[in-house]
Amino acid sequence: MTYRTQRVAYPYMVVALLLFGLQVVLGLWLATQYFVTVPQGLVDIFPFSTARAMHTNLLVLWLLLGFMGATYYLVPEETESELAFPRLAIVQLVLLTATGVAALVGFLFGWTQGRPLLEIPRPLDLLVVVGALLFLFNTAVTMIRAKRWTAVQASLLGGLVFLAVLYLFGIPFYRNLAVDWYYWWWVIHLWVEGAFELVAAAMTAFMLIKLTGVQRAVVEKWLYVELGLFLFTGIAGTGHHYYWLGAPSYWLWVGGIFSALEPFPILLMVVDTWRDVRQRKGPMEPRLTWVYLVGGVVIHFIGAGLFGMAHTLPQINYYTHGSQVTVSHGHLAFYGAYVLLNLTFFYLAMPHLKGLPLGRYDERSGHFAFWCTALGVMGMSLAFAVAGVLQSYLERYLAQPYMVAQVPIRFWMAIAAAHGVMVLVGVVMTIRHLLTLRAPAGGGEAAAVAGAAVTLPSAAGK
Amino acid sequence: MTERTAKGVFWGGTLSSLALFLALTVDTHGQFAALTRADKLDDTVVAGKRVFERYNCNDCHTILGFGGYYAPDLTRAYTRLGADAIRRRLAQPEVAFRDSYRKMPNQHLSPAEIESLVAYLEWVAGIDNHDWPPQDSEARWKRSTERLLAAAALSPAAALVQQEGCLSCHALGDRGERQGPRLERVGARRSAAWIGEYLGDPQRLAPGSEMPGYQHLSAAQRQMIGEFIVALAARGGER
Ligand code: HEC
Ligand code: HEC
Ligand code: HEM
Ligand SMILES: [Fe+2]
Repeated sequence: MTYRTQRVAYPYMVVALLLFGLQVVLGLWLATQYFVTVPQGLVDIFPFSTARAMHTNLLVLWLLLGFMGATYYLVPEETESELAFPRLAIVQLVLLTATGVAALVGFLFGWTQGRPLLEIPRPLDLLVVVGALLFLFNTAVTMIRAKRWTAVQASLLGGLVFLAVLYLFGIPFYRNLAVDWYYWWWVIHLWVEGAFELVAAAMTAFMLIKLTGVQRAVVEKWLYVELGLFLFTGIAGTGHHYYWLGAPSYWLWVGGIFSALEPFPILLMVVDTWRDVRQRKGPMEPRLTWVYLVGGVVIHFIGAGLFGMAHTLPQINYYTHGSQVTVSHGHLAFYGAYVLLNLTFFYLAMPHLKGLPLGRYDERSGHFAFWCTALGVMGMSLAFAVAGVLQSYLERYLAQPYMVAQVPIRFWMAIAAAHGVMVLVGVVMTIRHLLTLRAPAGGGEAAAVAGAAVTLPSAAGK
Repeated sequence: MTERTAKGVFWGGTLSSLALFLALTVDTHGQFAALTRADKLDDTVVAGKRVFERYNCNDCHTILGFGGYYAPDLTRAYTRLGADAIRRRLAQPEVAFRDSYRKMPNQHLSPAEIESLVAYLEWVAGIDNHDWPPQDSEARWKRSTERLLAAAALSPAAALVQQEGCLSCHALGDRGERQGPRLERVGARRSAAWIGEYLGDPQRLAPGSEMPGYQHLSAAQRQMIGEFIVALAARGGER
């Protein structure tokens, strides 16, 4: 850490991590309701729908707070200047967290906009918009004042502005359900397969430059290509959600073809990362940070690229649409692409924010926590996938009524929940590890000497 | 690759996809009215959509395939259940689903809210969406029922269903009304014995239902109707 104001990133990361823990607890409760019969009395006061709204909104909230914290850490280093308004950044965190908590409590009392993933009531939406504007203002002013532009910054800011603009399409009340879903996907799809990918590519490029020491010009050149391909395939690829909502049939073609190309930019990101890692200028230290970086890129490709591709063609989607197949993909993609991205960044930034020499930390329990979570999420996604394929076959193909087809699926949801327990254990350990980072057991001194010898980690320390 | 080419890829890719997407969006808006029968989208239907959102039904049920996967998709709920059956499930889910392994909350909907929800689900069921979901395809039910009726035109059970006026409330093939569940759909879920018993005393198995009792039929006749209805269920993979 070289700039004082980078410190505002720390509370963002702490809040994000705590919300992450709560998200996973609720997820486990959701899975349980699939294979246990919840008594009517409990269903009446705390139904599945409320728990689902909390689970998904917590995810979005903590990922966004994580992105914002990462931005506040990254922008001073990229612009080589202090953040324009560090206090405002804290005000913004308090505002957004309070809004999020108000929304969650509101859900418990039935205060909701009632549209999946966009349940936050409209008055609170306005506060979210205020928070987003404060954030964009702070970031943009810092960049403009510094007059130093890099591709990393540009794609980060571009992604964040895109993200904020798209949110607006989720706010109005739409009379026509088909039109409603049409714009719902402008928020959901264009976020995860557009704006978030820009943010992810920028954050990954930044981390690659810091960790590998590979030349910025090389990383940034490929960044342009990645972004171009993400947006080329991702924008028109929105059509893969327009097959069955009452839109014209040309979307079967446009959605199918463009979205089938979406795995390529993700693959390119894997290749770029691999190349930079091989050309690195120093040792892979601290090892855990590298494990997260590479793990994230790979699971991003599996979850979004492969699992997404599996059901994106209309011929297949006709059967899998609205089934647990979507759930399987959604979990693995979000985890691989955005959960691991945030956690990697936390592992990169938090040691510096805590002032540990050269950003080295005691990694021990972190490795177990990573594998426990990663394998848990993989197992869970596979169980959802089996449940989903079964559901598609029984319900869509054999034409069994929903509740009949659900009977054998309950077993697979129990398997998913068992893996969910693994995820919970892993996540709690990860949170604990990140919040209590210490200098390595051998003492920071030894690491510092080793680091100074190869000079790279001091670059990472910037 | 030079940085110039890389930037070219970025702008070329982004702008071409964006242009196509926006052009199709404009065109799609021109077609929504016809595809969704927007002329039938009156104030009651819109009120129903608001109720649907107020009670967050969508985080348990999918509709058009989007939302929570915890409960049956509601795109064609009107087609398969009919108005009266929907009313009873909304008014008293704890009774309607008392024997089920999965419950729906009683959110104390007012009669006006229930009426608007029924209107809303009726409108949604008419959206032309390439006949998704396949298990609720009316075209498929009609075809298979036509085949069956052609083969069993003189079946005594089919004749009873005609005589007793079941089709003044239930849909079957391309005939009938939509107060109660579509008979093909009933057959997919219930056994012949269950149906026979139900016809004798609907109130016992489904308290509060609008279905009249058929005590005047003999147990054998009721069982026969049950077998007929089970035979109607769309069979695996049938188109
Ligand atoms: C907590 C989750 C939950 C919520 C919230 C919920 N439902 Fe349900 N609903 C269910 C379940 C579970 C069933 C299936 C029960 C069964 O068939 O055994 C069901 C069944 C139904 C059915 C019958 C479907 C069929 O084909 O048999 C209709 C119609 C329905 N719900 C409408 C609604 C409406 C309208 C709302 C909002 C006012 C709503 N539900 C809210 C869980 C929920
Ligand atoms: C006055 C209208 C009416 C008539 C006439 C009528 N039904 Fe029904 N029926 C209903 C309604 C409404 C339901 C839905 C009850 C509920 O579950 O809320 C129903 C339910 C049923 C069910 C149970 C469906 C299920 O899965 O729960 C069967 C079976 C059935 N009817 C068969 C028949 C047969 C056979 C006849 C003729 C002999 C008949 N009905 C005549 C209105 C009618
Ligand atoms: C990191 C990127 C991605 C994330 C986080 C992600 C996440 C999700 C989520 C959460 C949903 C479910 C939304 C809902 O209905 O509630 C979804 C649906 C879908 N995704 Fe992705 N996705 C990503 C990338 C992709 C890619 C690259 C493809 C295609 C190659 C893809 C194909 C699909 C399809 C076809 C659906 C719709 C499923 C259906 O309802 O029929 N996704 N995605
Ligand atoms: Fe998508």
